[in-house]
This record gives sequence, C-alpha cells and structure tokens, in this order.
Amino acid sequence: MWRFLVGRVLQTLLSLLVVVSIVFFLTRLSGNPIHLLLDVNATERDQEILTHHLGLDRPLPVQYGLYVKNVALGDFGNSILTRRPVTEHIWERLSATVELGLVAMVMSVLIGVPLGVYSAVRRGSLLDSGARIFAVLGQSMPTFWLGLMLILFFGVILGVLPAGGRGGITHLILPAFTLGYFTSAAILRLTRSAMLEVLGSDYIKFARLKGLHEQVVLWKHGLKNALLPVVTFAVMLFVQFLGGAVVTETVFAWPGLGRLILESITTRDYPIVQAGVLVLSALYLTGNLLVDVLYSYLNPRIRRARA
Amino acid sequence: MKTVRGLSTTVLILLTLSLGAAPSDAAPEGQMTWAVHISLAPTWFDPAETSGIITPFMVLYALHDALVKPMPGNPTAPGLAESWTASPDGLVYEFVLRKGVRFHNGEPVTAEDVKFSFERYRGAAYKPLKESVAAIETPDPSRVRIRLKRPWPDFMTFYMTAGASWIVPKKYVEKVGDEGFKKAPIGAGPYKFVSFTPGVELVLEAFDQYWRKPPSVKRLVLRAIPDEATRLAALKRGEVDIAYAIRGALAEDLRRTPGLTLKPNVGQATFWVYFTDQWDPRSPWHDRRVRLAASYAIDRQAINQAETLGYSKITWSIIPSSFEFYWQPPGHAYDPIKAKQLLTEAGYPNGFGAGDYFCDAAISNVGEPVVNYLNAAGIRVKLRPIERAAFFKGYAEKKFKGLIQGGSGAFGNAATRIEAFVAAGGTYVYGSYADIDGLFLEQATELDPKRREATLHRIQQLIHDKVLVAPIWLNAGISGVGPRVEESGIGVIAGYAFSAPYEDVKLKAK
Repeated sequence: MWRFLVGRVLQTLLSLLVVVSIVFFLTRLSGNPIHLLLDVNATERDQEILTHHLGLDRPLPVQYGLYVKNVALGDFGNSILTRRPVTEHIWERLSATVELGLVAMVMSVLIGVPLGVYSAVRRGSLLDSGARIFAVLGQSMPTFWLGLMLILFFGVILGVLPAGGRGGITHLILPAFTLGYFTSAAILRLTRSAMLEVLGSDYIKFARLKGLHEQVVLWKHGLKNALLPVVTFAVMLFVQFLGGAVVTETVFAWPGLGRLILESITTRDYPIVQAGVLVLSALYLTGNLLVDVLYSYLNPRIRRARA
Repeated sequence: MKTVRGLSTTVLILLTLSLGAAPSDAAPEGQMTWAVHISLAPTWFDPAETSGIITPFMVLYALHDALVKPMPGNPTAPGLAESWTASPDGLVYEFVLRKGVRFHNGEPVTAEDVKFSFERYRGAAYKPLKESVAAIETPDPSRVRIRLKRPWPDFMTFYMTAGASWIVPKKYVEKVGDEGFKKAPIGAGPYKFVSFTPGVELVLEAFDQYWRKPPSVKRLVLRAIPDEATRLAALKRGEVDIAYAIRGALAEDLRRTPGLTLKPNVGQATFWVYFTDQWDPRSPWHDRRVRLAASYAIDRQAINQAETLGYSKITWSIIPSSFEFYWQPPGHAYDPIKAKQLLTEAGYPNGFGAGDYFCDAAISNVGEPVVNYLNAAGIRVKLRPIERAAFFKGYAEKKFKGLIQGGSGAFGNAATRIEAFVAAGGTYVYGSYADIDGLFLEQATELDPKRREATLHRIQQLIHDKVLVAPIWLNAGISGVGPRVEESGIGVIAGYAFSAPYEDVKLKAK
C-alpha cells in the first residue's frame, strides 16, 4: 500500500512539473510580456529597465529555473492589472469557488443518489420514468439558460432569491442548483445502473432470504457497494466544478476562480492565467490522487491487488 | 458505510464553515448601487493613465476632481480652479486655485499638486500636451501658470478632457508610489475610496468636506455584473438601483416593467468600423470602393431598432454632432446591391476573406450584426470580442489586423477626436493621409475661429470622401433606473454616458 501511495504521489509531482513547464513555455510563445506590462507611451529605456527587472534578459533555462523555484515557493508574481500579488487574487476567488462547488456537489449527491436508488428499486415505475426524464433534462439543458430561467422565476417572479452576487446562503441556492443539476442527473444515472447491478447479486438475494428489512438491504448492503463509482465520480466532479463553473459564475456574477481566469485571459493578465491554470491542475491531480487512495481504501480487492 | 458517513460529516463541516464565512449582503440605508457592464480596472483610479475613452470617468468623477471639467449645463465648469485666464497671445494660461479645498487625507490642494499631476500624466493626450507645453510654474501655492511653446487654441480642451487636469496629491503619491496609489487612491473628489475587489465591486464613501457640496448618498457601490439579463434581474429585484447597458429585447422588457425607468442617453460615444489595412497597397482595403462597399453593406437603422430601440442617432461621423467644429457628412444608406456592385468593380465579385473584426466585448452586440451584414455582402470577417481594457490597449499598440470596431465617448471637440483617431501620431492611428495631416497641423495653430472651423470641416470632408472609416452611429446608452432613485445623474452632464456628478445623485426620501 505504501509503495503504491509513494508511487502515485511521485507521479502527481511529475505531472505538475510537466504542467508548470507547458505553462512557462506557452506563455513565452505568446509574445513579449513587457508589451503587456508597459504603458502605451513607454520609451525603449522603460522597456529595457522592466526587462532587466523581470529577469527577461537572462537565458531561457535560467528564467525557467527561477520560475520553477518561485512556483515551488508559491510566488506567482503580481497581477498586471492590479499589481497585487497573484496569490491574493487566487485565494479570494478560490474560496468563492470552493463554496459554490461544495454546495453544488452536496446538492448533486443529495438529489442524484436517492433518486437513483429508488429509480433502480422501482424499475419501470412512474417514479423511474420521472427520474429518467429529470436526468435527460438535466444533461441536455444549457447551463446559462437554466441559470437565467431560475433567476427569472425565483428571483424576479417569486422574488424569493437574489439574482446574483455572493452573499449569504440565499445567494448560493440558484447558482449551486444550476451547477449541480447537470451532475445530479449524471449521478442519478450512475447510481441507478450501479444499484441495478448490485440488486441482482447473490449476496443481496441472501440478505433478503435472511429476512433482513428491505430498507436495510437497500441502504446498508446495496448502496454501500453501489456507491463506489459514485464517490469517485463525486470527488472528480468537485474538482471539475472548481475550474469549470465559468458560465454559472458569469450568469450569477459569482466572483469565482473560473471567472477570474476568463477575465484575465480577456485582459491578458498572464500571471493570473498561469497561476490559475497551475492551481486548477494541482487540484485536479490531487483529486485524482485522492480518488485512487479512496478507491483502494474502500475496495479491499483493489488494495490487495495493488499491494 | 463508516467511510461514507465520515466523508459526509467532513463535507458538512466544510460547508458550514464556508457559509459562515460568507459576508452579509444586506443593503444599508443611504447606499446606491450600480450594476456596471464591465470589470472596473485599477488603472482608472489614476487620472494620469486616462485613455481616450469615457469609461475611466465613471471612477474619476467620484474619487477625483479637476481644475476644470464638464458639469451640468457647463462643459467647462470651474472645479479646483475657481478662475483662469489666457494671455492675449495665447501663450500663457493662469489658473487660480479654489481656497480651502482638501484631499481625502486632509492635505490641502496646492499648485504643486497641479504641477505634479501634469508632469506625471501619461494618458491619451500625453503627446500633444508634452509637445506644446514649455513650462509649468507655481508662483504661489494657489496659482499655476502654464506656458506654451506656441499658441494652441485647443489647449484647454486637451488639458481639460483627457485626464491631465485631474489632480492627485503629490506627497501621498510620492510616498506610496504609482502602484500603491492604485491600491488605495486618494483624491479631492466627492467620494473616498473604501475598497476594491477586482471583478466584483468598488465601494466608495461620501467625503463630507467636498467643496462643491456634501454628497447626498453615503455609500456608492459599483458592482460588476457581466451578464445583461442578470443586471436587469438585479434591478427588478431592487438589488441594484441603476443598471447600465440594457439593450435589445431586455430594454423592451425594462420599458414595460412598472416601477423601473428606461433612461436612453444619446451621449458623445460614436462607433465606427476602422480599416487598419487601407494603407497597405496589397490589401483589398486599399481600394476605396471596397471600403465604400463595407459602409453600404451595413443596415444601421435595423441594428439601431433592434439594439437601442431606435434611440441612437445615425450621424455618419466619428465626431459627435454636439461637438464644436462638427461637420455633417452625407450618409451611405443601406444598399446591399450597391455594395456587391462596388466589390465586383474592385475585382472581388465573390467577396474576400477579410480576417478578424476586433471589438470591445461590451459592445459586441453592435459588432455581431455588423459582422453579419459584412458577411452577407461577401466581406467574410470573424468577430473577435476583447474585454474593454485589453481591447483599447491592443488598439493603441497597433496589435490588431483587419477591421476594428472603433469607439469613443471621450470629451473634447472635433480636433481632439481627429487627433486621437485620424491624424498621424494619434494614439489609435494605424496610418494617415498627408493632406489630412497637413490640415490638422494647420488648424492646430490657427487662432482665427472661423478659419479654424473651415479647416476642421475640410478634414471631416476628407475623412468622408476617403471612407477612412465606416461610421456606425452616435450611440444611445440605455440604462435602467430603479424606484428608490430620485436623481440618477444619467444624462445630466451633456454628452456623458454614466451617472455624474456623484454629489448630485439622490435617493428618494422614505
């Protein structure tokens, strides 16, 4: 187990180094950052001073070494637009994104899992059909349209929820549902198919023969085994929410990391784009690592095979 | 099961902590909130970096004050200068500063601050100002004297409208540096800086010692809401009091909503299509007929009805009709057959690939239909919307190739607009014509107003004849105003697109 764990951590670190390198070289390919940093009326002397100050007059391998060192120390430089440290921007926005992502994930699981279980148990029933329609709608509706419809209905017509911005728990409901609906539909389908497989297995039949209460059979013996792929999916889902919520964040004026990266791309604030991409990659890789570890922990067969 | 339960508990704890940390959004009394359509940039906190567009004034009118600035009913109203005089030879301008005026940190506004602000200025009018000003003198703390190298009839226009006359505190800027100033700006305007969260909001608080009068509203919040439908929803819910840039079907909806007021404001923002390659003999745009075809291909009236409910004015010029020295050009009314015919005559019967059409993302609603009309005529272009600050930076640095949807709502007169967008050396000029440049230099030193007007009219005629640009329209900004607002400040200063002066905005009494 330990060998497996150390191996996965090393793989993750190596992947991160590859991402750091790609980000560094792609940024250099996209043009001279001096032209972005300096004012329109800057003189050649101004350019020379800034080039030297940023170390851009040094050989590329030296620049690369310095960049990797700074990234390792958590120093991503300053934003071009605000001149504030990039880490401050990332932290401000990451907290908003984590907040939204967590609530969206919890919503997805709370909606998707019970519906998936009941849909499997009452296969072919009205409830099953309803759940499947719910899933198809969730996976086919564009996020921006759903978000706007929710704002119109709950914000404007009923007037019970705010239209946008970050504030108390009421501000979270609509964006979290918008973000989570698509994935709750996916979780529903995943839970349903996993439950259908589990419910047909011998140990479930045996549990029923033993005379166990149906709810115990379903939730304790059935769901526990069916949840394995769902847990994996939910963790990866959360990581995807962190970077992939741009549309939801824009519609709801939610000050998250995805919107920050998008805004920084349009304003060509490259230090933020670089740092954002790196942070998201790091989170994604860490999520992958966690899923692997969790999987091994939850499934003894995998643990034994890897050992 | 234990694992799942453990995971759920952790998630719930994290959720509770995260929700607990979220700030409350309850609106306090005396707060007016704007839903703005663009992300505010810290560069707009510093008058020294004012570019040739109107957007920075959204912040400048709150945080800072100028010697002279456009105000309600007076385009050259005394501000920090209570009076000024020009010598008969037009070479010396002397300003007398208003007594007892202070910056937000309590320091008095002095002649040294005026001199310092001018010397550090590097905005859109940097070049003409630096080339024309011989010296700036401070005979005493309340008097500033600006000596010109040669008579320049537009000195006041350039000095006043491009940010150079907006005053920052010398001691404070020297202490904190340029970057420190943008993080915590201090000015002499009616509102003090409280906080700025990039991409989220700017919060300002009333400066009760403001010389003109204490502001009526205690707290102003400029909140970035990028999505137009969300801005309107926020206005309908009362989360914001004023929403900028509501267009098309949403503007219709706004007009129909009881309690909300539609505020169309025909300002001084003109939009146009700029042909960056017209000076390249190998480019199709080098041929005047191709540029003319592009102009005929655009149905401006239809776009106007759809996007600004017909409130915009089709004036066929990059210069607003309200500006001094404006000349009314004849138009190129929509004629797709003529456009095709001109393209055929120019050797492009099947049209041609014209590359990219760059535009400010906030105005892509105009860019999209223009691109569609151009494509319909056979001029195949692809829309490239870019966020405002980056768009103008790229435009000024001549980074774009193909077509640019130019636009400016900056204050000034015909000469200032021509200087920035047409004449050689202008911030946004990719190329120029010798005859226009010659006339522009000629008018710049012409002291006789009649002769100067004739020259500026001739320049505008040449711009039209050469089809240097395809003008779109003089834009009507459409804003929505909520029921709590007594005075929004929109349209109060002639030609200005946003709310101002902020000390005049008012909420209704409860």
